[in-house]
Amino acid sequence: MIKIENLTKSYKTPKGRHYVFKDFSIELPSNKSVALIGRNGAGKSTLLRVIGGIDRPDSGRIITDKTISWPVGLSGGFQGSLTGRENVKFVARLFSKQEELREKVAFVEEFAELGKYFDMPIKTYSSGMKSRLGFGLSMAFKFDYYLVDEVTAVGDARFKKKCADLFKSRHEESSFLMVSHSLGSLKEFCDVALFIGRDNKVEFFESIEDAINKYKIDENL
Amino acid sequence: MARSGLEVQKATIKALFLREIKTRFGKFRLGYMWAALEPMAHLLILLAIFGYIMHRTMPDISFPVFLINGIIPFFVFSNITNRSIGAIEANQGLFNYRPVRPIDTIIARAILESVIYGFVYVLLMMIVGLFGEDFKINNILTLVCVWMLLAILSTGIGLIYMVIGKTFPETEKFLPIIIKPLYFISCIMFPLHSVPKEYWPYLLWNPLVHVVELCRNSVFPSYISEGVSLSYLAFCSLLILFIGLALYRTREEAMLTS
Repeated sequence: MIKIENLTKSYKTPKGRHYVFKDFSIELPSNKSVALIGRNGAGKSTLLRVIGGIDRPDSGRIITDKTISWPVGLSGGFQGSLTGRENVKFVARLFSKQEELREKVAFVEEFAELGKYFDMPIKTYSSGMKSRLGFGLSMAFKFDYYLVDEVTAVGDARFKKKCADLFKSRHEESSFLMVSHSLGSLKEFCDVALFIGRDNKVEFFESIEDAINKYKIDENL
Repeated sequence: MARSGLEVQKATIKALFLREIKTRFGKFRLGYMWAALEPMAHLLILLAIFGYIMHRTMPDISFPVFLINGIIPFFVFSNITNRSIGAIEANQGLFNYRPVRPIDTIIARAILESVIYGFVYVLLMMIVGLFGEDFKINNILTLVCVWMLLAILSTGIGLIYMVIGKTFPETEKFLPIIIKPLYFISCIMFPLHSVPKEYWPYLLWNPLVHVVELCRNSVFPSYISEGVSLSYLAFCSLLILFIGLALYRTREEAMLTS
């Protein structure tokens, strides 16, 4: 269960405060993956980050007894002058017990298929390599909810398939909170939807189809 | 994932500590040796310059010992506090990982600097000892206490600086400047007893003076350390840590709000 109570979130702009959410409450059902649908700048990613505890609301609370991941595939937390292995170790130290460290590092090393580059500084990586590492790292840990913000499939065809397979197997045990402009992948992975409309009103839909239809009508597609 | 809050914080501080030490020194040949060599080189240069000039002016203590005990504590203090000012921006990427909180970055840094300079301190004292400089560690308990209080004091100021620096970004320009003059009024280049007594009140409010003079007294029994007190230092450090923690607690959420 994730419960959002009286969430208000705004940003300062030169022309006054811009409110993304005002006094917004909702309870997300357990064990359901949620798609966040809306136009650019509607506040999908903001909501995702607030739920994940990465960004803080102006007021209101997020109540949950579930574990929530960092945004899947995130590479902003990497330290460029450290090697892939050292970065993975750092995150593993944060999220797991000492005993599991070796196993987590081994998982990412095997999954990301970086070969020798796993022991090279991240700043020498191509963007594809970086996202492979980021994706592998996210998948190395078990969370009840994974935050997915526009994960574009990475790498060549074979690697894409590998990611998709792992993603699907994770989906059986965990739920996703997903932002994507690929409506297909939302349909594939999510059970319910939150639609964020033009007036920043958030609506809950039991079916993805309905939400997508509403979105299409709203945007005159 | 069922770990207590304290366990998570301990693991986080450890992870940050190891990350920081690797980032700073991992890429060089000799690796961690540089952690010690870098500040040592710095000190040796100062020793060479000032040692020559001031050799005859200090009758009651060997000059290298005098300088080491002044400059190293000051470096610990200024390194911890200066880097705290931009700590939030510098570590922004890390706050994507929920276990990492701003205070952990300050604590990890404080431990790192204290450990590095503690190591350098022991090493340098051994080296000058080998070169025949005369000193005698007569009060190791005071020495250890003073170092711990120095770390606490620096952490407290670090927290205050982090909160102010984040809340009022303009202050980033002049907060480091406040630290600089302390170099000249913290008895690093001169002993307190060389200053006429009527000026002491202008110096003794500064806890760093107490740190420096107490350190010198603990390794050099005949060094006159009149006027300083361990209890004043302890009181000051704990008070500042308390203020730092209180400020941090009220502003933590706001600092993480984008």
